[in-house]
Amino acid sequence: MSGEPRRHRVQLAVIGSGLAGCAAALFALERGLTTAQVGHSGALAYTSGHLDLLGVLDGRVVDDPWSALGELQRRQPGHPLARIAPETVRHAFHRFTAALSSLGIGYTTPGDRNLRAPTPAGTVKPTLSLPCTMAAGVTAARERSATLVVDFAGLEGFSARQLVANLGPRWPGLRCTRLDFPGMEDGGVLYPEAMARALEVPATRERLAGRIRAVLEGASCVGLPAILGIHRPDRVHRALQRALGATLFEVPTMPPGVAGIRLQEAFEQALPARGLTLVSRQKVTRLQLGKEEATLQLHDSYGPLEIHAGAVLLATGRFLSGGLVADRDGIREPLLDLPVQQPPGRDAWHRDDYLAPEGHPVNGAGIRCDRWLRPLNPDGRVVHPRLFAAGILLAGQDWVRQRCGAGVAIATAFAAVQAAARHLGPGDGDSTPNPG
Amino acid sequence: MAMAERTLETEVLIIGAGVTGSGVMRDLALRGIHCLLIDQGDIDAGASGANHGLLHSGGRYVVSDPATAAECRREGELLKRLAPHCVDDCGGLFVAFEGDDPDYAAGFGARCRDAGIPCRPLTPAQAREREPALGERLVSAWAVPDASVDPFRLTLCNLAHARALTGSGYLPHTRLEGFDLRHGAIHSVLCRDPRSGEPLRIRARQVVNATGAWAMAVARMAGCRGVRLDCVKGTLLITASRLTHGVVNRLRPPADGDILVPGGSVSLLGTTSDRVDSPDAAPPTVAEVDRNLAEAVTMVPALADARFIRAFSGVRPVLAGSGGRGFHLFDHDGDGPSNLATITGGKLTTFRLMAQRTADLVARRLGVDAPCRTADEPLPEAEAGRWTEPGYAPRRWYARGDTADPILCECEMVPASAVDAIGRQAGNGDAPPDLRAIGVRSRVGKGSCQGAFCSIRVTAHLYDRGVYRDRDGLARAREFVEHRFRGVRPVLWGAQMPQAELAEALHRGLMGLDLPDGDGNGEEG
Amino acid sequence: MTPASPATIPTLDFKAEADRLLPPGASYDACLACGLCSSGCPASGIDGMDPRRFIRMAMLGLNRELSTTPWIWSCTLCQRCSSVCPMSIDVSVLVSLARGNWPPERRPSGIVRSCQAQLRSASTSAMGVRPEEFVDIVAESAAEVRRQGPRFRRIQPPVDRQGAYFFVNQNSREPAAEPEELGPLWKILDYVGADWTYSSTGWAAENFCLFGGDDDAWRAVVEQRVAAVNALGCRVWLNTECGHSFYSMWRGIRRFGLDARFELDNLISWYARWIREGRLPVNADWNRAGLRFTVQDPCQLVRKSVGDPAADDLRFVARALVGAENFVDMQPCRGANYCCGGGGGALQAGRSGARRSYGRRKFDQIAASGADYVLTPCHNCHSQIEDIGRHYGGDYRVVHFWTLICLSLGILGEDERRYLGPELAGPGLPDRGDDGDG
Repeated sequence: MSGEPRRHRVQLAVIGSGLAGCAAALFALERGLTTAQVGHSGALAYTSGHLDLLGVLDGRVVDDPWSALGELQRRQPGHPLARIAPETVRHAFHRFTAALSSLGIGYTTPGDRNLRAPTPAGTVKPTLSLPCTMAAGVTAARERSATLVVDFAGLEGFSARQLVANLGPRWPGLRCTRLDFPGMEDGGVLYPEAMARALEVPATRERLAGRIRAVLEGASCVGLPAILGIHRPDRVHRALQRALGATLFEVPTMPPGVAGIRLQEAFEQALPARGLTLVSRQKVTRLQLGKEEATLQLHDSYGPLEIHAGAVLLATGRFLSGGLVADRDGIREPLLDLPVQQPPGRDAWHRDDYLAPEGHPVNGAGIRCDRWLRPLNPDGRVVHPRLFAAGILLAGQDWVRQRCGAGVAIATAFAAVQAAARHLGPGDGDSTPNPG
Repeated sequence: MAMAERTLETEVLIIGAGVTGSGVMRDLALRGIHCLLIDQGDIDAGASGANHGLLHSGGRYVVSDPATAAECRREGELLKRLAPHCVDDCGGLFVAFEGDDPDYAAGFGARCRDAGIPCRPLTPAQAREREPALGERLVSAWAVPDASVDPFRLTLCNLAHARALTGSGYLPHTRLEGFDLRHGAIHSVLCRDPRSGEPLRIRARQVVNATGAWAMAVARMAGCRGVRLDCVKGTLLITASRLTHGVVNRLRPPADGDILVPGGSVSLLGTTSDRVDSPDAAPPTVAEVDRNLAEAVTMVPALADARFIRAFSGVRPVLAGSGGRGFHLFDHDGDGPSNLATITGGKLTTFRLMAQRTADLVARRLGVDAPCRTADEPLPEAEAGRWTEPGYAPRRWYARGDTADPILCECEMVPASAVDAIGRQAGNGDAPPDLRAIGVRSRVGKGSCQGAFCSIRVTAHLYDRGVYRDRDGLARAREFVEHRFRGVRPVLWGAQMPQAELAEALHRGLMGLDLPDGDGNGEEG
Repeated sequence: MTPASPATIPTLDFKAEADRLLPPGASYDACLACGLCSSGCPASGIDGMDPRRFIRMAMLGLNRELSTTPWIWSCTLCQRCSSVCPMSIDVSVLVSLARGNWPPERRPSGIVRSCQAQLRSASTSAMGVRPEEFVDIVAESAAEVRRQGPRFRRIQPPVDRQGAYFFVNQNSREPAAEPEELGPLWKILDYVGADWTYSSTGWAAENFCLFGGDDDAWRAVVEQRVAAVNALGCRVWLNTECGHSFYSMWRGIRRFGLDARFELDNLISWYARWIREGRLPVNADWNRAGLRFTVQDPCQLVRKSVGDPAADDLRFVARALVGAENFVDMQPCRGANYCCGGGGGALQAGRSGARRSYGRRKFDQIAASGADYVLTPCHNCHSQIEDIGRHYGGDYRVVHFWTLICLSLGILGEDERRYLGPELAGPGLPDRGDDGDG
């Protein structure tokens, strides 16, 4: 048995399989670049499914994210979203949501205003776009439609009573009920993933529709936890809505939920079909940036692999996905030991108040880049002309607090792919790429 | 709008629901006396809950304070015998490493014998066989009968026993506002619920100030100047998993990070020791955490790479000018109300003795001649006290085999049935406990996620149960995660960092707990 | 005398074992308690357990409970949990350890007996097919195949042929229970003119010792097989349509550091290669009715060893065979696929209620796909998917690749169609001509 690594040669290697990594792979394929993607499941699995651009600025909920981008440019010129032209952001966002829709995970077309989507807490979250399966919740909440929120015995962390207790005072038509999920009535713990997959079976949908119809009592809208299928949820949504005769919407659930699994599985199937060399659920162990090319080394369960690329796009996320590592004496980037912009010491990482509207300084830590999304050394020089970065790994943003994670991921992925393509030059980039 | 003032009556009002206050209540109840116990927050919110949970053999004090050492030895033996369910009799070691003062180590055995503390010398090899986690540069070791004790369980058992004996009651969230002094005595005590603002008057024949580090301030409210305390802040750390079988003490004069105590499935490292101005403990700091660690890695090298899940701080009341860890009972004879007693100083291990001395005084003042029974009478195991033990809830859940009983806190595996039981057991006819009260009485929120997930699941459960009915439930959730964060903040590195990042994504991103109430709910523009 | 009380199960310290066996970044200490593992595990809920609870109970020191929980026999060791875990925490390592910790007399007797049978015979056959029996069965079955028609006159499966390129293994189920399933494989090997041999020793594919958590026995079986291949000097050990046989051999050789002087490969990849090279000119003309097919990715072959290249090959072959428009994937699939519930020895573990409850997810996947047929390049998958189909009232059939390949090539005999439906009883029967063997 030989231990020789299996080798792949591509123009662009994307490291990371979160939103930024997948968006980058998608945009690169659309540009016609031969592309490889490597990444381990990280934070994407925990997403609510909302694609936000900029939801909160200075502790205030943002209504018009596009004008807020202008404000962001003035107040936080180092913010990744402040450094990309708004029309590029808009273009990238549209391309991305359109691509998802073509995969059967329809997203609302990004508009001029943020949508206000109900959360499982019974609060409302500002987001630019959300899955079509969740869209009717925004309208129902706005129009205070006669709505029944259904929860399920055994599905912990999702209480329809909680939604009604919190949203009800402003939404008098909101009611709740609890049902048993068909085929899962034995009282055990329910996972949204299992329920969602069961709803891909027509017979299960029919039974659930029957149970909901029996308690509908005139409601024109029905809210469910996010369980409407994993694969092509639009189909499940349409079918169940038809069977119910009422408008149906999902409310996100706490992890482990389905929104991230939907995206992960859709990308894992669709992108290789478009030519992507995908090494899923693995981490790059070594990355060498050479004069002629970049080399990625990794192992999958079968053995060693090498990917040779003309350019590398780093979209490895933050601490949760392993893109950044926090040691007691500082934050480092583990793959290349890139310089990490960070607060001076651990005591300055976090504020005392957890939910302070000012946010924690550590959330602004990350990789500093030039306008071509190339990581920079502390002296301002480019680390390597073949290296680009995208997503929440970048310094100067606070995606959780500002509700801008998807915006940062999609816009910087687009811009970084654009810059990488420019570096690779016309034609191919796998032999002698243009100097940067 | 003024709220109507309720009035309650009792024979003895005890202020401060730490181990001492609850111990006084039980002691008096055993003499047939009805008490009320109040606390501005909840049980063991001060030094009682912010320590190692070390049931001292006394070895720690043989050099600095031989009297306290001997007291610890006697009380430790009593507690092991009378409250075994609160104690993990895991044993302990005193260990010296290269560079530690050899003279201190050399005299240790003799001093222990003088204080009556059984101790046995071990070779470094024997010590490492017993505790493989000990560092390489170990030079000498002694085995002593240290143990670990669960102060929350002690307090909950004290409360339950006192309630069973005389119907004595406990009122959390009842803050002392002032004393109504008449004729040189306390006529009644004025209180308020800091959350609802609701006032309460309590009439009592005797009043006990068992407020630990706050005792000086409380005594002054009653006009007593004689209570003088130094406030000493201590910060400790909790690891995600248990690193040693038994207690490990550094064999040298007490310093930072020199005691590691197992606490069920985790280990507790500490402590720092710093004079502070206020009994209101500031949260643990990064610097304190690092000081603990800098010292401790010599003792147990695995601490350098261990996952820490939180830090916590408490303020110990130290009698001014004493320098030691002894306690004092102030009868306020001549310096204050005739029916007030203040008990402070001391330590967890000696709480029973402190309660005994206090109850002796109070009973004498009330003309009750029943003797103290806490040195003979076993402390009954209370159902309400069991949930604080790591592993109890999941063991019980597993044995019951009821798959329809969902786990709400997955880290510590606390099922819904336990949360419901805590609700039943904690209620004194008052409102069912909220998320934080459940956390204090169980392992909810104490595991590696530090409330990231269980705050959401338990909140949803409490809405389902009707405990929460409006937006107040979210405010309680916010309060709970804020409180957890104070302890998490200084240990955020390594494996706890991704956990915290995920928590913030959940609490802000998914739940929107950071946005002001109502914002985002209405239409703008 | 009363019968001896059953041996007690020793108590393992799971946290200590996890610290010993797992890499530091993926230790149980790194668990975020997020539940992604359990969300994606079909064994979640069985006995009230799931992967997250397994880890948490280890962290909380519930060692007695973990040492004795029968759930370890429902976990199929498929490693889906670790593949979706952001921290890559592997539960299956400790589940295997727990299995091995049960005294043999307490372990599921089906697994134990199968393993013992493998250790007893030079065949390494779990069904006790001895070398000489295997040789006889092969000879008799080959004669049957030759009788199907003149074109099969050359079917003479070689045994112990020194220096053959392929050393072909065989799951014992065929020689022991359904020898008519042997013919299609031989016909394919003959069709492409493969240079191959069986061996009279070490020929069996299955490895139940792996499932018993008994490393020594697992090793012994693999050693026997490695010795057989080395002795014949074959270049490639060719795994036929059986998932765990590949994993147990490939992983076993690495784990135990065995001297294997050959490559390991699996038949599906060779099907794909032969089709690409035009040596297996299959097409979907037989499927004019548009029967819909899906494929089960064996965890042992795809997620646990070769990875997505094996999944790609499976789909390439399937599409070529049934027509791309008639192929539909189950969701999820490939490396993210769910185990069918028959893995890890579950079919021999006796707990059929738990096994079927596990298989419910697979059943739902198949139902959602709308497939009429499930292609399974694995015997355990085949048996389990058939069983849950019967149990839950599915109307699909389960079939091996070799059946469809021969069907497509017009060389599938009448007796070789037991897994096909009546609609496929007729198409493409080989021209019998004279009586073949005559």
